Amino acid sequence: MKSKQIFQQYESREVLTAYLFLIPALFVIIAFVLIPVLGTFWGSLFRDVTYLPRKFIGIQNFLYVVGNADFWRALRFTLLFTVTAVILETFFGMLFALLLNETFKGRGFLRTIILIPWAIPTIVSAKVWKLIFDYTYGMLNFFVVNLGFSGGKINWLGSSFAAFWSLITAEVWKTTPFVVIILLAGLQAIPQDLYQQAKVDGAGLFKRFRTITIKLIQPVLIIALIFRTIDSLRIFDLVYVLTGGGPGGSTKPLSMLGFEMYTNDLFGKGSAVSIITFCIVFLITIVYLKTGKFRERFS
Amino acid sequence: MKNIPLLIIIYLLIFTGCGQKNNLSFIVGGTAKTFAFWEKTIKDFKEETGIDVRMIRSATQTEMRKQQIFIALRGRKADPDVMVMDIAWIGQLSASGWLESLNNYDIDTSAFFSNIVNLADTYNNQIIGLPLFIDAGLLYYRKDLLEKYGYPDPPKTWGRLSEMALHIQKEERRNNPDFWGFVWQGAQYEGLVCNALEFFGSAGGGFFSNDNIPIVDSDENIQALQFMANCINKEKISPPNTYTDMKEEEARFIFHNGNALFQRNWPYAGNRHNEEGSPVKGLFGITVLPHFPEGKSVSTLGGWHVGISRHSDRKKDAAAFVKYITSHEVQKDMAVELGLNPGRVDVYESEELKSGFFGALKEVFLAAVPRPTVPYYAQISLVLQKYLNDAIAGNQSPGKALKKAQGEIKEIIKTYEK
Repeated sequence: MKSKQIFQQYESREVLTAYLFLIPALFVIIAFVLIPVLGTFWGSLFRDVTYLPRKFIGIQNFLYVVGNADFWRALRFTLLFTVTAVILETFFGMLFALLLNETFKGRGFLRTIILIPWAIPTIVSAKVWKLIFDYTYGMLNFFVVNLGFSGGKINWLGSSFAAFWSLITAEVWKTTPFVVIILLAGLQAIPQDLYQQAKVDGAGLFKRFRTITIKLIQPVLIIALIFRTIDSLRIFDLVYVLTGGGPGGSTKPLSMLGFEMYTNDLFGKGSAVSIITFCIVFLITIVYLKTGKFRERFS
Repeated sequence: MKNIPLLIIIYLLIFTGCGQKNNLSFIVGGTAKTFAFWEKTIKDFKEETGIDVRMIRSATQTEMRKQQIFIALRGRKADPDVMVMDIAWIGQLSASGWLESLNNYDIDTSAFFSNIVNLADTYNNQIIGLPLFIDAGLLYYRKDLLEKYGYPDPPKTWGRLSEMALHIQKEERRNNPDFWGFVWQGAQYEGLVCNALEFFGSAGGGFFSNDNIPIVDSDENIQALQFMANCINKEKISPPNTYTDMKEEEARFIFHNGNALFQRNWPYAGNRHNEEGSPVKGLFGITVLPHFPEGKSVSTLGGWHVGISRHSDRKKDAAAFVKYITSHEVQKDMAVELGLNPGRVDVYESEELKSGFFGALKEVFLAAVPRPTVPYYAQISLVLQKYLNDAIAGNQSPGKALKKAQGEIKEIIKTYEK
């Protein structure tokens, strides 16, 4: 539906009132989203270091960033991290959501405790994971050595491979509950008689899951995927605490690359990285929205 | 709408804040103990001069402290007037024109470590800061263990250090599987650059030549970096998480709990090791860091300096305050109460400090070298952190890593030299 059609249903006075109600929200969006994004873009066009005069340099900051091996490494890590984390979260999220949708004793209790990881601030859970992975005093090494899985201690954050999977473990642990809540809400909205009818028609468990559950849960699933993808693309706190981007910069996400530039007073280049990250997130969101067919579904 | 005037007042209050009184502001970071010390000093200063000073407590992390100060200076704010700055920022602060020259305020600098004032606090022939307290890398060693295994003296060379560490680590591991020969700072952060400068310098290398040309990939540096990597990966006298976790506190914990023979750390660690209840109290000694056969010992200069903002609106009072907190008396109190090492040489001669820990440190400070003082040091450090860490992690050879670092540093210089 085009916006013109929407407005035709109402009198002009009502439209005016609607706009008046919208103004506060619009103000917030413009002041805290639009202006900062445009301001960052403007800043990315300057050479902005404190000890030299500020100078307009066009897209040179972008050329620098794109020509920098660190940028491609960070981009690769960010995408790999996002894809891996989102797939695992969706898988485990679906598993737990299906489980918690069944009626059994202690369901309420389980539904509550499964939310705990999501309720803990990331910086706190990251610190706890850091202790678990710690080489000298960590719980994981304690078990690995004492249960005889490995001859010696393992440096969980020491190689890029191990550090990647340590990060994924912590991230999946933390964010799966979010997927569970959203999917659980979707599951509960599915009318039970659909399953009954399918049963009567002789559909097996797997077929019922494929034709009813997956189909009807899809809109909620897409919402969960959008949120998780955008969040993972912006990953910062977990990496900052656990690996600091190491070893050797192999687990440095785009957000940390920008952060490093800002803290070292490369405001122009940092802005360029931020704008590029913004564009990537924006594009991926559009792809999701198109494939999710939200317009048809919700209007 | 009779409430509109009220609304306007509320908005004004929200957006303008309650105005600050225009007193002298002093930004400093530290622990609760540090803040208590400065509060007392500020009170004494007021009694003596009648000048009110407001203390701004800055963040715990060094990089956050830097941002706090830099944002205010970029915005040309009149506050803070007096600031305590890490030695690593001074090059950039002074090149940005943000530090007031102290030459106009009749401050006598002759009592301070002249090597430090010359190398770190002088910009365009102007004194722009003074060392409030200084730091330099030291070697901590376990006296009792060296004695037990028949070594009369701490090692003079790195080769000797690794020999002793290998031997004693092997013996001690029989009873204590968590024992390590040598702990130092290898995580990817500024501390790694400080450690590397000491290894490099003691092989006759360094980051920059005397006329500020980068010499990062010199043979001496490659040899030194190879030694650092070998400690972790070949001799295994340093823990494998050296390059992931090991910062000052991580190294200190290991040594503190009696789980290390040698430790490279700043002087603060010695104060902690000497506290009541410390497992290594009285069992350790400090000395200058070892060197390679063809070089001499080098310590990286750390520490915090005090300066006056160019944008300050009360420069005269600010200078009086700087003079006060760098006076003999306050510097001595700082040493006694906080265990910090004064920037004034004459304090080390006083009765309270002459013997013991402080006496031994003076020699180290006299020979300490600063990190490069170029304005773009922060970016050079980032490059160094990345490649040094990658090399000690064993991901690439020291030669290759330093060659790449040298290339990137040259690029940075090309971009920013005028």
